[in-house]
Amino acid sequence: MSKMKHGFFLLTIVIAGMAMSNSYHLQLLTFIGINTLLALGLNMLMGYAGQISLGHAAFYGLGAYTSAVLSATMNWSPWLALFAAIVLTTLVAFLVALPMLKLSGYYLGMGTLGFGMIVFILIRQWSTVTGGDSGLVGIPALSLGPLSLASGKAYFYLVWAVVLMCFVICERVVDSRVGRALRAIHDGEHVAAAMGIDTSRLKVGVFVLSAVFAALAGFLYAHLVSFISPNSFDFLVSVRIVTMVVIGGMASIWGSLLGASLLTLLPEWLHVFTDYEMVVYGLILMTIMIFLPQGLTRGLLDLYEQSRTIYRRPATSQEPTANR
Amino acid sequence: MNSSEPITGTPQPLLRVKSVGKSFGGIQALCNVTFEVAPETIHAVIGPNGAGKTTLFNVITGAYEPEDGQIVYENREIQGKKVHEVVAQGIARTFQNVELFGSMTVLENVLVGRHVRMHCGFLGAIGRWPRVRNEEREARDYAWELLEFVGLEKMAHHRSADLPFGWQRFLEIARALATQPRLLLLDEPASGLNAVETQQLGDLLLQIRSRGITLLLVEHDMDLTMGISDRIVVLHQGRRLAEGTPREIQCNDAVICAYLGSDEDMRGLS
Repeated sequence: MSKMKHGFFLLTIVIAGMAMSNSYHLQLLTFIGINTLLALGLNMLMGYAGQISLGHAAFYGLGAYTSAVLSATMNWSPWLALFAAIVLTTLVAFLVALPMLKLSGYYLGMGTLGFGMIVFILIRQWSTVTGGDSGLVGIPALSLGPLSLASGKAYFYLVWAVVLMCFVICERVVDSRVGRALRAIHDGEHVAAAMGIDTSRLKVGVFVLSAVFAALAGFLYAHLVSFISPNSFDFLVSVRIVTMVVIGGMASIWGSLLGASLLTLLPEWLHVFTDYEMVVYGLILMTIMIFLPQGLTRGLLDLYEQSRTIYRRPATSQEPTANR
Repeated sequence: MNSSEPITGTPQPLLRVKSVGKSFGGIQALCNVTFEVAPETIHAVIGPNGAGKTTLFNVITGAYEPEDGQIVYENREIQGKKVHEVVAQGIARTFQNVELFGSMTVLENVLVGRHVRMHCGFLGAIGRWPRVRNEEREARDYAWELLEFVGLEKMAHHRSADLPFGWQRFLEIARALATQPRLLLLDEPASGLNAVETQQLGDLLLQIRSRGITLLLVEHDMDLTMGISDRIVVLHQGRRLAEGTPREIQCNDAVICAYLGSDEDMRGLS
């Protein structure tokens, strides 16, 4: 079943890649992939383990800047830089998570928010290394041996291959001892502990996992656009990742894809509204949350199932009204 | 079962609660409580509301740290240990208000109970090497057996929140058994059950004891408690009021006073 799903997914990527000739569309799809990675990571933390992070842009930025600085300024191979970025992010996420995940609910939100701001300010102010507000230029394009990944199409394939890999990773984690324990923590932390789950250890683990996903997304982003500036990693980006998870559907791997797609595409579609763009954007998100509070995935599935039962048994569905 | 074991006096107790005290603010919830639980027995803790029964459970399971005294389990002091460490040592519990993982299926709930006897971490989950797959398969077999034991195997793939309340109780017991405890603490297992279900519960608890598991239960249903318990401890206002066999407790004047007595009698006792 899951093999088929992955095969289908792979086929969709290949067909999309072959059919797309417009470089703008390709780039848009590549951004959807990067945002999907961000949402996927945060969904593991928020959707499954029930721990909020309002500072995930920090890890996104950490991944992007570590790789950018090492490869652009210090001429490291980008892949070595990626490795360094992942190691650094793991370390930082671990150190942050140790005290932070003792908090819960609003307080955890505040704590992670503060962390996000610290990293943002650090990136802006440490201009000798990061270039400060004017950003960092000349981030090299990626290549796999002789194979250059500079073209839009090659990069599209790379990003979506990584997305597919992360999908598999998430599915495997969710459907395991660890995944069950994470969901148990979400449903009731003290009960989870009473079942023998080391809740703080697992929470730190899933926090690090989601941070590494964000760093990976940051790496892919930096080497795609070749120029990064602090504004790509500010507070609003953190909020947007949270929105992707919530709109797409908490605790749903495919929901991350849906949420990331919608939030990437919506601003592009809404350009026609010019000045009112943000108003319409906000209204659409509000409407989704009001009518599909469980997110798009669950909401659309429910709608589909409702419509099926109505078509199948029109008589029974009218019965309650008749009785009244 | 253990006929080979030489019978020399009383067997080594599985759990020893030694002059345990715990207070919240100015209120002394437990004061100098001492008793012992022999292995493979059913031991009940009874007492009026507010007697400190649930606090006692929380102290034994590590949710609270006692201010005085020791909890000795299998000759090791366990007070002050973390909740999940206590479970790993072999003490499992159920809750007064059934606390299942509502978003998960019946089978998954029992599998969570198996967590503490499994080893797979994040890397194992991602890698799914043979060892992890074997462990997972064994856990599932174990969980199915327990579901059959409590009679819920037909509901395995339903969401646990969708079960009727009585079945949720049984599921909670199965989940606790999945941790392979030697001591199982049950906090008011019969509350909210009808007469038939209470009867089934009594049978189930006796079967659990015959599996070699020691039971410590807090219970208000006196028919059930007197019917299945080997020994009973009575708590009253955080103190041990009496201890003995069900028959002894039924005849104990102090106990009768505590349950039925007027305010004056109560003051006389404390």
